Amino acid sequence: MDKITIFAAVNTKIRALEKEFLKREDYLNLLQKSSVGDASRYLMDNIYYRKLLKGIHPETVSRRDIEDILKRNMIKNIDKLIYYFHDDYRILIRSLYMKYEIEDLKVLARSIFNGKDPKTLEKSLIFLGKYSQVEPEKLLEAETIRDLIYSLKGSEFYEFLIPLVDGRRENLFRFEMALDMGYFNILQSRKLKISAKDKRLLRKWEGTVADLYNIQWVYRGKKYYNLSPEELLNYTISFGDKLTYKDRKEICYTKSLEELFRIVNNTVYSFMFKREEIATDIYMERRINRFLYYRIKDLNRKSPLSIVQTIEYVWLLEFEVRDVISIIESIRYNLPPEEARKYLVKVA
Amino acid sequence: MSVEKMQIMGIIGKINLLNRVLRLIILNGSMHMINALARINSIDFFLPPSEKNIEAIEEEPFLKPYSQKRDFTQDEQAIKLLQDLFDIKPQIKREYLEQDYDYSDFMGQFNEILKKIQPTADEIKEKSRLIDKKREYLNNIKYLSNFQNLDIGRLIYMKYLVFRLIKITRENYDKLKKNYENIPAIVLKIAVEGKYVILASFAPETLEETLEKIFSSLNYTQLPIPKDVNGTVSEAINQLTQSIKEDQELIESLKKSLESYREEYQEEVKKGYSRLQLEKKVEEIKSEIAVGNKFFFMFGFVPIGNVSKLKSELDKNFGNQLIILVDDVNQPGSGSTPPTKLNNIKLFSPFETLVKMYGTPNYREKDPTTFFGLTYMILFGAMFGDVGQGLVLFIGGLISGLIWKKTDMGGILNRIGLSSTIFGFFYGSVFGSEDILPALIIRPMANINNLLIFSVIFGIVLTLSSYVYSIINYGQERNITEGLLGRNGLAGLSFYLVLLFTIFWIFIAHQNVTPILVMIMTGLLLLMLFRVPLSSKLIYSNKLSGVLSINDYIEEGFGIIETLISMLSNTISFLRVGAFALNHVGLYIAFLTLAQMIRNSGGRWAILILILGNIIILTLEALIVFIQALRLEYYELFTKYYRGDGKDYNPVRMNGNISY
Repeated sequence: MDKITIFAAVNTKIRALEKEFLKREDYLNLLQKSSVGDASRYLMDNIYYRKLLKGIHPETVSRRDIEDILKRNMIKNIDKLIYYFHDDYRILIRSLYMKYEIEDLKVLARSIFNGKDPKTLEKSLIFLGKYSQVEPEKLLEAETIRDLIYSLKGSEFYEFLIPLVDGRRENLFRFEMALDMGYFNILQSRKLKISAKDKRLLRKWEGTVADLYNIQWVYRGKKYYNLSPEELLNYTISFGDKLTYKDRKEICYTKSLEELFRIVNNTVYSFMFKREEIATDIYMERRINRFLYYRIKDLNRKSPLSIVQTIEYVWLLEFEVRDVISIIESIRYNLPPEEARKYLVKVA
Repeated sequence: MSVEKMQIMGIIGKINLLNRVLRLIILNGSMHMINALARINSIDFFLPPSEKNIEAIEEEPFLKPYSQKRDFTQDEQAIKLLQDLFDIKPQIKREYLEQDYDYSDFMGQFNEILKKIQPTADEIKEKSRLIDKKREYLNNIKYLSNFQNLDIGRLIYMKYLVFRLIKITRENYDKLKKNYENIPAIVLKIAVEGKYVILASFAPETLEETLEKIFSSLNYTQLPIPKDVNGTVSEAINQLTQSIKEDQELIESLKKSLESYREEYQEEVKKGYSRLQLEKKVEEIKSEIAVGNKFFFMFGFVPIGNVSKLKSELDKNFGNQLIILVDDVNQPGSGSTPPTKLNNIKLFSPFETLVKMYGTPNYREKDPTTFFGLTYMILFGAMFGDVGQGLVLFIGGLISGLIWKKTDMGGILNRIGLSSTIFGFFYGSVFGSEDILPALIIRPMANINNLLIFSVIFGIVLTLSSYVYSIINYGQERNITEGLLGRNGLAGLSFYLVLLFTIFWIFIAHQNVTPILVMIMTGLLLLMLFRVPLSSKLIYSNKLSGVLSINDYIEEGFGIIETLISMLSNTISFLRVGAFALNHVGLYIAFLTLAQMIRNSGGRWAILILILGNIIILTLEALIVFIQALRLEYYELFTKYYRGDGKDYNPVRMNGNISY
């Protein structure tokens, strides 16, 4: 099909939806609020958020309620976009949910591991079942990681998880790793019938994400978990944009962190280990996200009428939800605005 | 030829009878349940205060919806187990359901039976599990069958090395292969199975721990090999096959020992299955029922013809214990609307599907199926009149009705096929050719003008009949305003007639317009425009209901203009009936010309072109004409008189096949 017939309508819709994003001033103003109630009142003054937050009481609202509402809205908007696509494009857009569902599955697994009732969880688990099509209730009933794996039967994740049960290795770490590996495996091995250009763009984008996650993984694995190079390598994502297999192997087999920094500093990803910020690992994720934020905006500008617009919208939406939640969290824990600002993706 | 009349039936009784009453109602299969609380709260519900009813009346204020839910998983499992064991096909039999029984007593007995059989069943299950396990072992050992003379015992009991058989995905195998120089083990690829690779690995015992971590990061699955086999691979395979066979024989003999039980209890198992299914259905419909402390209340619509049967069945089984109320369906506006059950003669009943596609008729509406069916057949035949192709459609309809059981679609197809055949004789057309038969009435291509005029006249007749239908429907609803003064009422009909007469007067009789005609038409238009205040003045004394705002008049004004335009366009629209008749001949001529050109230039396959042409004409035109005729019915006619806002009659009964 012609790219205009595929994308013209959906891109117009995306333009309209992007109007609903918060502005830079909004973030800055939000940061100045002194309570969750004030922040939600401020959001309720925004035309678009007013619709979303209708019916909440600013005095009693909790972070979880707001997170729930924002994530529900994310699903609503992504679902809207799915209607514009057919066939394999539809599968592709639906698979954008996979990332979020895996995140929720991990949170759920952690709460099971810690013996907490998932129903009382702080985080919202809205995305459960959105990709796997498994009934969320079924997942929430699980009492052990093993139950959880069995309740995912019939979904695409199952085949990656079942070896854990067979090998009696169903611990939290392996569960999370198996899901992540499964995710990238699905991304890599699926054969979508989409245009060559879209395929190239998708590979580029997913490759960039994979590169960053790989570097982060090797760094953390070395610094905190003392994993052997072989294990590190086996758990890397086996595709990338700038990093080849040789590069990945090289960074896995580095003898020290210093050596790792040196190699990464010779790539485009040198920003990850800025000298002055190395001590502050907590900002690494934010640095990655900001890099991705600019990268997807760049791709978006360079390739009009392609799948990138849709992917960009979903990522920006995710960043907005993430930023709003982290502002509200900072307010709740009384972080000074200047400090809180350092965690935001969309506003520097 | 109509919508079946309904009555509301109410059943009130002691709660302990509830399940048995519901069973009887499901088996009877003619009650369309409605929400009991809604019914009790409606204005026209009345429970006569007699001695028999007094207790029930006392409970009326305390009624609440039935909310308990029974859980059938255990029963289901028990029945499934015995069905599998005795090899009985699940089947619902009516005779088991009609017997008088109490479900929980029955299940109690059933569980007694189960207890007797349980030990044997468990043993069979255990043996099957063992067989599965051995099969897995066998499968794993077969991966080694390239090494026929390898002693498995030696492989397992090595002193310094550890042997493993594992399975990983291809992607992970690639990772392993690329980094092989760093793996502290000898790894052999033994087989590839779909997405997976089977590997054998040998590693020094001291490095086991490192290797385990590496394999874990590759998400491996260990393929177990039994510890108790010894000898070479082929010997081990033989041993396992032998032992599986022994176990299977054991299972067979166990099953044989159950044979006497089977003789004794298979009837009970069949009963159990049927009764469980019925009980599940009973639970399903309980949500519509209201219960008090002692009594249950249930209500539903029953077609008048079935009321006495249901009532006598209830009387026979429960005698005086139930209070049965039978009420007539009241006038429009009160209570809930009854569901619609269509009842048409066989010739027209398949067309119900097409009517329902537009909407189910309202209970108080006239069922349009007969009129629809008749006119649809005529329209289709007139547009697609061909003896040969009509017969093909007719046969196609028979086949799809008889063989594929698509009775509705098949029924429609063979009826319109028949009509097409009849019109084929009128037009003298066989597979497009007009040389074989004489035309009984008209040759379309030779009389284009006449044909088109006929079709418009036919359209006028249909439009007039739909006005009549509309007026009847308004009459049944007691909607006098619309019926007399509405666009689709008497005023609209008179306007249409006058308009037609005027057109005839000017264009055919070539006379001048007389002022009288113009005045009548304007008068009728004004009547339609001001119908609401007029009717409230003339007919009802209630003035409030007749006040319309300026906006309403603007809307009505446009409505009138729309009526004017659509009256003309709807009539002209029927031109297509003639046009498609021409089209049929025209398409054939095109293919005939092609065929003749081929024959003239010496080609031998001219007949093939004609056959191909006929196939194209048959499929393409049949589809188009099918849709065009439907369009005429829906758009030109249904909009005038048919609302289709009814509910389907959907009685509670057992789904699926019940054998008697």
